[in-house]
Amino acid sequence: MTAQAIATGQPRATVRASLSRNRRWALFVSYFFLILFAIFFLTPPYYMIITSLKSDAEVAHLATNPWIISNGITLEQYRLLFQDTDFLIYFKNTIIVTLCVVAITMVVSVLAAFSLSRMRFWGSGILATGIFLTYLVPDTLLFIPLFQIVRGLGLLNSYWSMVLVYPTLTVPFCTWIMIGYFQSIPKELDEAALIDGAGHLQMLLRIFIPVALPGIIAATIFAFTVSWAAFVYPIAFLFSADQQVLTVGTVTSLIKADVYKWGMLMAGALVAAAPPLVVYAFLMDYYIAGLTAGATKG
Amino acid sequence: MVDLARHYPVGRTEASERARRTGVTLQLWMRRRSTTAVLMCLPLIVIVAGLIVYPALYSIFLAMLNKAQTRFVGLDNFSYLLGRDTFRMVVEQSAIFALSAVFFKALIGLVTAHLVNNLPSKGQRKWRGMLLVPWVIPLALSTLGWWWLFDPTHSAFNWLIQGFGGSEIPWLSSPYWARFSVILVNVWYGAPFFLIMYLAALKSVPEQLYEAAQIDGANAWQRFQHITLPMMRNIIAITVLFSLIVTFANFDIVQIMTAGGPRNMTHVFATYAFLLGIRSGDLPLGAAVSLFMLPILAVSAMFILRGVRKRGREIG
Amino acid sequence: MPRSNMSRRSLLKTTALAAAGVVSAPYVRHSYAAGKLTLGVWDHWVPGANNTLTRLCNEWGEKNKVEVTIDYITSQGDKDLLTASAEAQARAGHDIMSHRAWQIQVHRAVLEPLDDVINALIAKAGPISPVSEYLAKADGKWFGLPTTIGSQVKPCCSRIDLYKQHCGIDLAAIFPPNPNRDPKLVDSWSWDLYLKSAEQLFKAGFPVGLPMGQTSDAIDSTGAMFRAFGSVMVDEKDTMKVDSNETRAALEYFKKLMQFNPPEVYAWDDAGNNRWLISGKGAGIMNPPSAWAVAKRDNLKVAEQCWTHDMPRGPAGRFVGQLPFFYGLWSFAQNKPAGKALLQFLSEKDQSRQLVAASVGYDLPSFKSYYDFDTWQKVEPPLGTVYNYPPRGDEQPSITGYPARPDVAAQIYNQSLHTIMVAKVCQGNEPIDKVIAWAKGELEGMLRA
Repeated sequence: MTAQAIATGQPRATVRASLSRNRRWALFVSYFFLILFAIFFLTPPYYMIITSLKSDAEVAHLATNPWIISNGITLEQYRLLFQDTDFLIYFKNTIIVTLCVVAITMVVSVLAAFSLSRMRFWGSGILATGIFLTYLVPDTLLFIPLFQIVRGLGLLNSYWSMVLVYPTLTVPFCTWIMIGYFQSIPKELDEAALIDGAGHLQMLLRIFIPVALPGIIAATIFAFTVSWAAFVYPIAFLFSADQQVLTVGTVTSLIKADVYKWGMLMAGALVAAAPPLVVYAFLMDYYIAGLTAGATKG
Repeated sequence: MVDLARHYPVGRTEASERARRTGVTLQLWMRRRSTTAVLMCLPLIVIVAGLIVYPALYSIFLAMLNKAQTRFVGLDNFSYLLGRDTFRMVVEQSAIFALSAVFFKALIGLVTAHLVNNLPSKGQRKWRGMLLVPWVIPLALSTLGWWWLFDPTHSAFNWLIQGFGGSEIPWLSSPYWARFSVILVNVWYGAPFFLIMYLAALKSVPEQLYEAAQIDGANAWQRFQHITLPMMRNIIAITVLFSLIVTFANFDIVQIMTAGGPRNMTHVFATYAFLLGIRSGDLPLGAAVSLFMLPILAVSAMFILRGVRKRGREIG
Repeated sequence: MPRSNMSRRSLLKTTALAAAGVVSAPYVRHSYAAGKLTLGVWDHWVPGANNTLTRLCNEWGEKNKVEVTIDYITSQGDKDLLTASAEAQARAGHDIMSHRAWQIQVHRAVLEPLDDVINALIAKAGPISPVSEYLAKADGKWFGLPTTIGSQVKPCCSRIDLYKQHCGIDLAAIFPPNPNRDPKLVDSWSWDLYLKSAEQLFKAGFPVGLPMGQTSDAIDSTGAMFRAFGSVMVDEKDTMKVDSNETRAALEYFKKLMQFNPPEVYAWDDAGNNRWLISGKGAGIMNPPSAWAVAKRDNLKVAEQCWTHDMPRGPAGRFVGQLPFFYGLWSFAQNKPAGKALLQFLSEKDQSRQLVAASVGYDLPSFKSYYDFDTWQKVEPPLGTVYNYPPRGDEQPSITGYPARPDVAAQIYNQSLHTIMVAKVCQGNEPIDKVIAWAKGELEGMLRA
């Protein structure tokens, strides 16, 4: 490249200088627009934090500046949330459900993706492409026949029903990501393992999973986010407070008829957002790397 | 990893021995392949068949019954809907909502992905984190936050606007502003997903291609057009398709912020189905509304996915 | 909201034999129907109100050897509607559920007739509100029993200080907290006076707020107003009556009235008018006492000036929007005799009195003879603020969509035909004739039901 530049007669130093000038200008423009986007993305969460730290009276009061806390920071909303509502129960239930669903999703998706990307059986091509189409019937309609199935299995009003139905939301997309990723793994690795006498399961465990780990983490994060935030199925299948999950529980216990508790609602929303944020913070880099090959190649 | 050295027996011809072993192993392997393959796929098949396909077929059947669910009426519900002004308005609104929201999400995702990618690598992490926040907060809860920001009496936005001397905006009271608001929230929530997908894709484009093009004299826009876009065609197609499917089925945002109003002008399929099916008690009609987009989306999906697979095979 | 010490799912064990004669339900007396009973009841927003129901069911269950379990299901997100729909579809679920307004008609094919219970109650307590009868009866049979819990009306709730200051109207004098009303004063409270005072209040910077969105607050009060003008959409014989002078008169009236409302009324949800009144910006809304109750918590100065009173009188009468809730016993319930016995018990006067007290006067039974409960006289501030919440005097309850056939009326209600008509005229500036033609088209579609 620089050889080419030299060939065309431009001195090396000038090329580098003009490139770096461009880079500085590009960087400046980048930061400018990034700040604008950051403001757009972060304004509502900032507002939610501020509201959750205000007293009820200040929230309802019209004259005060809604963007800052005028009457003193209070942790009252959080205290009430944890002590006077079933919020912590919802939290515990959601963690149990999400961990189970993520585990199930990963096992099912990885196995299926391995099978669909490497082996041929009748219908495997259709399944691999068509798996996407499972999202075409929305959960706002599916819950009606699913109610009968859940009832029939005796899981109504139990959070285990969520463990049963959430995979319908997560498995297709995760499988699809994994298929793409597995397809990008060179076939030489397969052959080497085969010559070694490795069985399918060993091939999967010893080779594919370690190599595809970023993709697996990406799928895990997706499954986690979707399970954590699900709303329609819990509202349809869970009645009692001791079985309810975070999203529905927060909304239904803090909004009754025409009475809203905004401070607590915002506090609840933020605490509910914390675990996904933590998960993302730790696994972000893998997430990025993982989504690369899965989607673009194969 | 695999230690090949152990498997080279001394004394026989290495080549023939290897060939024989490979042949036998492959034969056995191929015979067992189908069964193992199906077995590994079985959990997926069970989930999809039992919890998605069966209920979906039931839903489709439900959409073809009369209100009391005593008679099969075929496509009557659909033809009735197409004859109603309100439903035609819902179709139009859903299309505007989904198409514009997906367009802006993809655009913002692409732009922010580029911007973040241009940063020095150590800075990228915290920007990525900040820009991802909307997707991390459960949608049902963040929508409530937005709703409070738009509430006519307490809107923090209006407070700011009035502070600058402007007049308050009827975020949810005027039909056109209400449409804008629901699209805005959907874009706010969905753009990070696109950002992450596109950022990952950008990182997989080899740096050398850009440098070569730059030396050749290509400017930023030309580099984007001739290198970035072609490399990213697949991922763009997939994300847009996925987002279209999901955005057409969106329920939470509209239901929580406007419940379809004012004057039914923000209704989308899912909320209108809820109104007709659950509130007014005509489940088959509600099912028909929910399924209205299914044929169109299914056909689009098949075309797009076919293109992706074709390109995938070309790249090999 | 204080966390209840017992879990929401209260499981009751039987301890004593049924006390003879305590529950006067002939169908139970001889069989001592033991076993279980599950209820899905509306989750009350008044803190602690659920506990009274739980306690009452406890007591009844002990006396009758029945294990009663209650799930409190919120109406937030229409979860109660979702659950009922799913249970009806699956033919399995709770034995008894509470249903809002139209849901009895929606589910009547899978509900058990309750005529025996109703007739026993009417024999003791007198007639049931005609709105409740209209909503719960089909083919001459009662499929739902009006509840106390959750049932409400939506009369005016006004700031007496603002009305006195800017309009010279003393609402507390027109509607005093006792039975001694001056008929001339009451008669003066008409829609004409309402319009005049709305203009005065608007000019003073404290307008009234009539929700004009697509939620029940808007639909209930708007429908009552149309009825007060004598306007009917469709009559009981499926004849279209929307194109009438009465409808035009009503729309003309709204055209004048809505300009004196804040512009956001078209987007208000059920809590929008509450929040607005509580903030101090508004002079009057139409709501059950929940707005006043929250004002007590968040803005006492406003609460002290709130007065609930009758709706204005129109050419065809004085109507207030009623939104009753009903208990429904599924036809696939396991323990019907016990269910009927419990329902009768809960609806009797003494139990209703306790439930009304627990709801701080929000719950409104459907029996006019129950309006003498002292809760409505006692809650304050100001004392007597909700005395006129139950429809006394010449005020009649109404439901939007009446008198059409319930299947059709349910569509008129749920698809917000009235409020959309008003919004089209007032916000969309469409000519009245065009809006009436549009309504005709919509009604034709609804007649399909």
